[in-house]
Amino acid sequence: MCGMKKKLFVVIPVLVVFLCAFAQKKTYKRYYSYNIRLSFTNLVGSEPLQIDSVYQNPFGEPFTVSQLKYYISNVSFSNSDGKEVKVPNTYFLVNEQDSASKNFMVNSLLGTITAVNFYLGVDSLKNVSGVQTNALDPLNGMFWTWSTGYIMAKMEAVSPLSKAPQQRVTYHIGGFKGENNVVKKISLPLSAALKLKPGDTATININADINKWFAGANDIKIADINFCMNPGPLANKIAANYAAMFSVTSSFSQ
Amino acid sequence: MHRQFTILLLLATVVVSLSFIKQKPKPRKPGTPVSFVVPKGWPAIKYNLDSNGLTKEGIALGRRLFYEGRLSKDGQFPCASCHQPFAAMANFDHNLSHGFNNQFTSRNAPSLANLAWQTAFHWDGGINHLDVQPLAPITAPNEMAEDISTVLDKLKKDSVYPKMFKAAFGSETINTQRMTRALSQFLLTMVSANSKYDKAMRGEDSFNLPQKLGYTIFKAKCASCHPEPFFTDFQYHNNGLSMDPVLKDVGRMQITGDAKDSLKFKTPSLRNVFVTGPYMHDGRVFSLFDVLDHYHKKMVVGPTTDTLLKNKIPLSNFEKGQLVAFLVALTDTAFNKDKRFSEPPNAPPLNFSSPGHHLN
Repeated sequence: MCGMKKKLFVVIPVLVVFLCAFAQKKTYKRYYSYNIRLSFTNLVGSEPLQIDSVYQNPFGEPFTVSQLKYYISNVSFSNSDGKEVKVPNTYFLVNEQDSASKNFMVNSLLGTITAVNFYLGVDSLKNVSGVQTNALDPLNGMFWTWSTGYIMAKMEAVSPLSKAPQQRVTYHIGGFKGENNVVKKISLPLSAALKLKPGDTATININADINKWFAGANDIKIADINFCMNPGPLANKIAANYAAMFSVTSSFSQ
Repeated sequence: MHRQFTILLLLATVVVSLSFIKQKPKPRKPGTPVSFVVPKGWPAIKYNLDSNGLTKEGIALGRRLFYEGRLSKDGQFPCASCHQPFAAMANFDHNLSHGFNNQFTSRNAPSLANLAWQTAFHWDGGINHLDVQPLAPITAPNEMAEDISTVLDKLKKDSVYPKMFKAAFGSETINTQRMTRALSQFLLTMVSANSKYDKAMRGEDSFNLPQKLGYTIFKAKCASCHPEPFFTDFQYHNNGLSMDPVLKDVGRMQITGDAKDSLKFKTPSLRNVFVTGPYMHDGRVFSLFDVLDHYHKKMVVGPTTDTLLKNKIPLSNFEKGQLVAFLVALTDTAFNKDKRFSEPPNAPPLNFSSPGHHLN
């Protein structure tokens, strides 16, 4: 009897320790996390965008871009089973004039991916939660102070066909509420499944053709429309167009 | 011997087990916490203190920033140039305020009392969070006319601010979020709940006869848009003001783009109304009697005018007198003289050039 008791004294604590360790393992289940670099290249049609070069939009209207910025947020990856895993807290501001901003690293929890997804724009929650930091800091010039909300995408250009002062073309596209929500979820399938290796960095190259801003679902001619700086029907039209500007050109794992 | 071994083993077990318990380090918020006191009988506040709890250091930083001229382009327009303590944080005797380069602001500066209960700011409600609010006057070309990164640069170069940011937020990092959160902390402390009206409601004081009669008239004729205890419904109404041909201000419609919102403006609180004149969104009405005359006679009834005002508000001269007596009882003298809201003693010197900008 006494020996039994002694044994219990040993067995129970050992059991408790193992149980704790097990519980611990369950909470902290280790995932491999794979590094993926998303690399954006802005194009006009098939030509690489150069600030201050003259291009033609789909209507043959010449224009010269002086500024191009857009938000990429809520990145997620999908696999062939239809499983989609979000990368937490992903907010990036792609700025044509800042080459570092066009490449950024994210982590995938899926080992094999068949599509990359993201929002073009900033989700409504971040539009109603006060002042944010880093890419979402209002000092980046992508935030309306007089009517709270992010400018999701911004193109500023000059065109001889614009009837605005200094022939300016100003498209500041925003709106996060109801029917004027311009945040677009973009899903880009990869041409082949991308198998990721732990410790390596894969790259997904994404093109953005800014000529898509002008045509597609809606005709936006510079001669008619040189200015958009409010959420509303016009912003919705331009956003419906530019939602189609992205395509994956290549993806590879090193 | 066995017993000692057993006890040791048990002890070891406990220690090992404890080490598995998820040790989530509690992020200690820097600074000395200050609790927000909701006046008796008032609803819970709308501002979320979880992300920006009040601290002595945060409030002190916000107070200094509020009186900081360098938040504006030429150093002459701190927040306090249009929001003065003795005017319940509105702009005393200014229909429109003055901004950078001899410009007028486009609307009348409102009182900043009881902002903790507000969810939309500006006369058109275009701003959806108190933290975001200061960015509008700072960047408006006819107000403080500065850009945010320049403001932050000026603060970073200062000898005092980095230390104050560290005391308030744990490190010397100065960014937009911290600056605006500190301002919010200071603004949130501006609670006005000590007027004669409040004291009468709490049984600490009593109305005189005109105030008592005025209160009854108020409840019958004004309270649907100005309900107690905030004396505003926080909604948008067209109260029969014709559009100013220069300002061409369409109000709420500028935000919603909806023609039904044309000429609608947010109902202002009537707390401290006696010291916050001139009145209305563009300050076009200079006295409380003129305000009552507006509702009684001068209103322009248009398609979006509030249905409750379609027939204007019938008011006798006697009623107007009693109403004004009641409205004066909404003055919170303790609030207007509260030393916590005045210019901090160690504030940087301000460089005001015109007599319109005295702070005290």
